[in-house]
Amino acid sequence: MLAQQLVNGVLLGATYALFALGFTLMFGVLRVINLTYGFYFSAGALVALWLARSLGWPVWAALPAAAVASGVLAVVLDWVLLTRLRRIQAPELSSLMVTLGGVLALYSALTSWLGPDIRRLPPEAISAEAFQVGDIRITAAQLLILAATAVLVGGLLLLMRGTRLGLAIRAMAEKPDAAQLMGINTGQAAALVSFISGCLAGAGGVLIGLNFNAIHPYMGEQMMLRGFVVIIVGGLGDIRGALLAGLALGVIEVLTAGFVSSSLKEAVAFLILVAVLWTRPSGLFGRAVMRRA
Amino acid sequence: MPPWLDDFLWTYQNLVHALGINGLLALSMYVVLAVGQLSLGQAAFMGLGAYSSALMTLKLKLPFLLVLPLSAVVPVAFALAIGVPTLRLSGVYLAIATIGLGEVLRAVYLNVDLFGGALGLSGIPERGEAWMIYGLLALAVLALWLVGRSGIGRAMEAMREDETAAQVMGVPVGRYKMGALLASAVLAGLAGCLSAHVSSFIGPNEYGFEPAVTILSYVLLGGIGTPLAPVLGAWVLTLLPELLRGFSDIRLVLNGVIIVLAVLFLPGGLLGMRMKRRAA
Amino acid sequence: MLRRTLLAAAAASLAATPAFAQASGPVQVGAVEILTGPNAAYGTAIRAGLELALEEVNEKGVLSGRKIALTVEDSAGNKDQAINAARKLIGRDKVVAIIGPTLSNEMFAAGPVANERKVPIIGTSTTAAGITDIGPYVFRTSLPESDVIPVTLARAKARGVKTIALMYANDDAFSKSGFDTMKAAAEKAGLTIVAIESFGSKDTDFSAQITKVRGLKPDAIGISALVEPVSGVLLQARQLGIGKETLFVGGNGSNSPKLGEIAGAAADGLLVGSPWFVGKDDPTNQAFVTKFKAKNGKEPDQFAAQAYDCMHILAAAIERAGAADSEKIKDALLQTKYSGVMGPFTFTPGRDPASTEGVVVLAMQGGKFGVAPQ
Repeated sequence: MLAQQLVNGVLLGATYALFALGFTLMFGVLRVINLTYGFYFSAGALVALWLARSLGWPVWAALPAAAVASGVLAVVLDWVLLTRLRRIQAPELSSLMVTLGGVLALYSALTSWLGPDIRRLPPEAISAEAFQVGDIRITAAQLLILAATAVLVGGLLLLMRGTRLGLAIRAMAEKPDAAQLMGINTGQAAALVSFISGCLAGAGGVLIGLNFNAIHPYMGEQMMLRGFVVIIVGGLGDIRGALLAGLALGVIEVLTAGFVSSSLKEAVAFLILVAVLWTRPSGLFGRAVMRRA
Repeated sequence: MPPWLDDFLWTYQNLVHALGINGLLALSMYVVLAVGQLSLGQAAFMGLGAYSSALMTLKLKLPFLLVLPLSAVVPVAFALAIGVPTLRLSGVYLAIATIGLGEVLRAVYLNVDLFGGALGLSGIPERGEAWMIYGLLALAVLALWLVGRSGIGRAMEAMREDETAAQVMGVPVGRYKMGALLASAVLAGLAGCLSAHVSSFIGPNEYGFEPAVTILSYVLLGGIGTPLAPVLGAWVLTLLPELLRGFSDIRLVLNGVIIVLAVLFLPGGLLGMRMKRRAA
Repeated sequence: MLRRTLLAAAAASLAATPAFAQASGPVQVGAVEILTGPNAAYGTAIRAGLELALEEVNEKGVLSGRKIALTVEDSAGNKDQAINAARKLIGRDKVVAIIGPTLSNEMFAAGPVANERKVPIIGTSTTAAGITDIGPYVFRTSLPESDVIPVTLARAKARGVKTIALMYANDDAFSKSGFDTMKAAAEKAGLTIVAIESFGSKDTDFSAQITKVRGLKPDAIGISALVEPVSGVLLQARQLGIGKETLFVGGNGSNSPKLGEIAGAAADGLLVGSPWFVGKDDPTNQAFVTKFKAKNGKEPDQFAAQAYDCMHILAAAIERAGAADSEKIKDALLQTKYSGVMGPFTFTPGRDPASTEGVVVLAMQGGKFGVAPQ
């Protein structure tokens, strides 16, 4: 049973990491407390659902399309909600507040329009086949998540470390003013980061909706608290950290529920969060860079 | 009292209580924001106050005049326990840490039988009264206003603007931060006790992430110029669902849109940012 | 229901206006239900049931031709709003009785309010323990779990089940109460409980708990939770290899057509006890189902059916009371003898439904409920 539980943990962790990737980028690079991230997650899943159900698209086409749609949505919402605040140099709390209000309105509007019901992707979207290896069972959707997480993490790291764009983004994250002086168009870079984060959120929404077979407007909201835990433990803006923290959290949660007590499963994430914040707030897996949040 | 007034007061009794209690909660948020701390532990403190006071009334059968002041004890103790490591954090880290602590407490309420688990505690006798709520609210506003006008208030504003500079100028930031946290615990704890004793039933889901964010929204809407500002914000946001009752489907949407518009176009809050103070 | 109150008028209307004299004109009845937010599906189903029954009642009216006017207020699943709604209905609209609220949590908050004002409040969907203990004006027409679950477990036992694992959502009053009942009923029935696992109602991953249970190979798994987590558990259980050999037993949360919609084939074989069933063969029920379908475009669920009966029961009580008077209506309710889509109905002196003969054990098959084979 331990083997299966470990697999369960890794799979759960992969979903957390997947959610956290775009979140840590948005948070760590744009330095904005942006609560709308969960909404892009939901939106991606819902767009994919519509494409699959109404237009009959297969998953491999719906997924990237939904991701792009979420990315565009992210750029637009950022512009609507945050531009004015950036211009008047409002305190950090204002961005928290405005994205809070915005996301409340958006979720409610979406729910009013579509209903709060849970939907599933059509069964043809992905094979429900499960593979059995010894004592362990794993489904095609879960393998897809593992693969997607690996690809996305790899791709992001490549982008950040290996391209000029990545360099520009990292420079902007470190010191926006200096970056601007060096000729980096921070406005464009910021929009691009928003776009990438939105895409990641949307892709995450599709994959996770596929895995748990539950797509509904509030799904992004439910992931947000865990998302916070992962990006804090992993270090803001740290991609590798998000991956490791996500996996670790998933495994710890599952092992706690499986071998200690299932009623502690929810509390575990927050205990870890508080412990990390009290001892090493810049994150366990990130570089120990002292940053003002 | 003419019957229509009697009816009116009875109909809106819960709303009247809620306005007062949310005002207290807004103040508990205000005191920490006033020293520049984004602590979101008010809902957690409220829960501690509510549960401890409910248990005192139900199990220990203490009289309410004793329970009310005692309800501040557990939240204050908790604040003391977590204060030191938590107040080292700043900005959003502090916010998330306090939310995390609130969720840990919620897990305790759910899993320990004494607190009733998911069923919560019901049958709490209605001992709280409007005059108690508003009396405390008025006292709190007055006290905070007096503090704000004094030298301490100036020091707090300095901390808010730039903590390091304030420290350099000799402001004992550590002590003020802890003091603000303790004041926040007292206010929220009392609010929790009163809330439990006017609504007969409390459950673990009332003191988590969403209520914490709601309390924050009171202050962000109202502003922190004077102690009256957050209370005003609380009143507007408490009344909104009731005023919008006729718009059931789009009520929440309107709620969110109003918050967005308020923040975008009234960044200093409804009453503006600065407090008028006597010259130094 | 359309509300004519505009925002500007709302502020003005907060100032009380005296209500209509009660001697003539429509009889005011109120309902507090969840119309928006995550659990709105239950509340809107209930409202549909109430409105259909209201149409039928108002064809003849009550008390010599007076119509019943129903005001439905939204609680949005929020305890405070449920209280405000109840107070508004009683204080401003002067209703003679209230139907609802939707969730047991809300009843614990709003029930005392109605009780204090001596206005009968009738829950149609509240199944937790202790509801009617709130006070002598609190009624319910929904069968408490403690009456239904033993029937379902007896059927499981008759099929040879000896060991059972219990899973439940530990952060929701209804689910927890249902679990307490399930545990007690399982013990009483002589089943061996091999494991007890909990989860959160909003969780999506149950793999840890399911894997643990899978290892113990129980004959049956009992789940007490609302329909979304139940569906999630079922789906993941099938993914993890728990097959037809394990019998799933659900509490009242599983008693919803959404189970079939969300879980699909994964829910096949699940047993749940229900006071009502859409395929029930008697003419009253079939007439109701047909009418409901014609009006709302889909079949009714248990919540709509219970609400439908409740409105008729209340109308009959008003008629029996002889006046639009809350005290007389309360006494009249206690004397209810009604036969509706739920079957024959009377109240116990404790104001709970007296008869469990209507309980039928259903099994899910192909996304739809059917009577469970023996």
